[in-house]
Amino acid sequence: MARGTIPILRVGQNLLATVHVELRDAVAEAFQEDVLTELERRRAAGLVIDVSGLDVVDTYVARILSETGRMAKLMGTETVLVGIRPDVAATLIRMGYSMEGVLTALNVDDGIDTLAKLRDTLNLPGKLGAEKRK
Amino acid sequence: MILRGVDVVRRHEMPIESEDDVVLVRRKVKLIAQSLGFDAFASAAITTATSEITRNVWVHARRGHAVIEEVTDETGRRGVRIEFRDEGPGIDDLPRVLAGGYSTAHSMGLGVSGSRRLVDEFEIDSAPDRGTMVRMVKWTRF
Amino acid sequence: MNSRDHLGKLQIDDHELASRLAFYELDAGDLERLASLRPFAEGSTDEIVEAFYALLLRHPDTRKFFPDETTVRRVKKSQRDYFMGLFSGVIDRGYIEHRARVGQAHERIGMAPKWYLGAYRRYMALLLDRLVAHFPDPADAHAAFHSVQKLVYFDMALAIDTYVAANLEALKRHQAAIRELSTPVIRVHDRILLLPLVGTVDSMRAHQIMETVLMKVTEEQAKVLILDIAGVPVVDTKVADHLLKTTAAVRLVGAKSIITGISAQVARTIIQLGVDISAMDTQSRLSDGIELALSLVGKAITVKGA
Repeated sequence: MARGTIPILRVGQNLLATVHVELRDAVAEAFQEDVLTELERRRAAGLVIDVSGLDVVDTYVARILSETGRMAKLMGTETVLVGIRPDVAATLIRMGYSMEGVLTALNVDDGIDTLAKLRDTLNLPGKLGAEKRK
Repeated sequence: MILRGVDVVRRHEMPIESEDDVVLVRRKVKLIAQSLGFDAFASAAITTATSEITRNVWVHARRGHAVIEEVTDETGRRGVRIEFRDEGPGIDDLPRVLAGGYSTAHSMGLGVSGSRRLVDEFEIDSAPDRGTMVRMVKWTRF
Repeated sequence: MNSRDHLGKLQIDDHELASRLAFYELDAGDLERLASLRPFAEGSTDEIVEAFYALLLRHPDTRKFFPDETTVRRVKKSQRDYFMGLFSGVIDRGYIEHRARVGQAHERIGMAPKWYLGAYRRYMALLLDRLVAHFPDPADAHAAFHSVQKLVYFDMALAIDTYVAANLEALKRHQAAIRELSTPVIRVHDRILLLPLVGTVDSMRAHQIMETVLMKVTEEQAKVLILDIAGVPVVDTKVADHLLKTTAAVRLVGAKSIITGISAQVARTIIQLGVDISAMDTQSRLSDGIELALSLVGKAITVKGA
């Protein structure tokens, strides 16, 4: 039911997920499932999660996003979070939650650029490069 | 009722008995914060703190309520005061949680210690036999 | 701002109102007496208002508040209403709102309390003369005068309260403007912002700096923010913590931070204090920071012609 709530599109070598609704329990779990299922179906070099639609990110949502990033990484996909709003960013930092370990970028374009640059830096060919990562 | 020191201008009571309620309480607080003239950052702070605690109530106690009050003090400063109550399992090592000792180990702890930093006044009373009461106040900047 | 906001700010709830009335010794007897003087008031209002404005228009410092005939006519009408209001025999929220507006109006035109206090004095003098003329028995004139005096002082207090409140509002706005100015974010190049920090950075200022910086980075879609701290006199663990938090927040919105202006002294202090700033990109010179920022956005400064 909640599967497919968060749309996940293929954009070139990357996946783009747009979080436009509250990440409540059911939606959050379904989102993670959807991402992993998609990555299993066909590998993606990167995953861009656009959270510009979120006006509140509490520790629960932050944890879901971090987890999703870590899960994707295990499957060989680098994740970039984009569109974190100024007040959301300030609030997370003030709570003591810095979300280290997740890449960030201003918007989807920059996110895709960041992933491309990362691939270049790690000398990844377009295909399976997971072995080259530490 | 008018209290000396802090006057309550308006009071809203909301149940926390479902996941939907977590969102409803949060949205109500955000609306009130904005109507009081909180800027985006202050509004995000109190709304997020509310989300943390409300979620704690839902996840750990499954049942509780929030009382949201629009308040003013003697200098005319406006603020929002929120009190959460539940009869859930409580926090067994409150001092440690408040010191930020718990992170991923105790999911209630992170929300509590984080929320504290987002508001101006924070009170918590929680024990395994007593449930939990959290009260927080955020004032407008001036 | 409407008068109801003023009342909210003034905190005149029922408890406060009762307290003031008690302190000014204003009771039902006074209000009855004043109500009974309504006919007298109606008969005297024109004379009193004319004499009242004669003073204000005569004096060079107050004349400027009444630049033309239209204004004078308008305020005379308001003054008549005010004067008659003293004899309404009722003090309710409506009365208080109306009186509170007087202070607001004065603040708005910039008429300081010294002038309208002086004007109230004139009122009392005019009233005393007329009351003495009106009542054959001096005792009655006294009683009437005392009642009016209580109410006029009560009114003055309200007017001053709102004047002060309005002043405070203006002050807050100025403070907000000053805060804005103390965080000047400069666009040095496409998608590169620079914030030269000058002066001490306490937690309140740091709070505001983080917010201004985050807003500017997202507004300008900046990829790099250069924070120059050469102008910050003391960089201790607290300041370093503020910088760390700000750069962490900037990272979350998707931009990179470079801290420049790190003197030898500051470098020594930070390392000796054990502050971990390994997560931050730092440079000693601003120019090096700018070059680094440019390289991060895929640009470089080259020598012409060579």
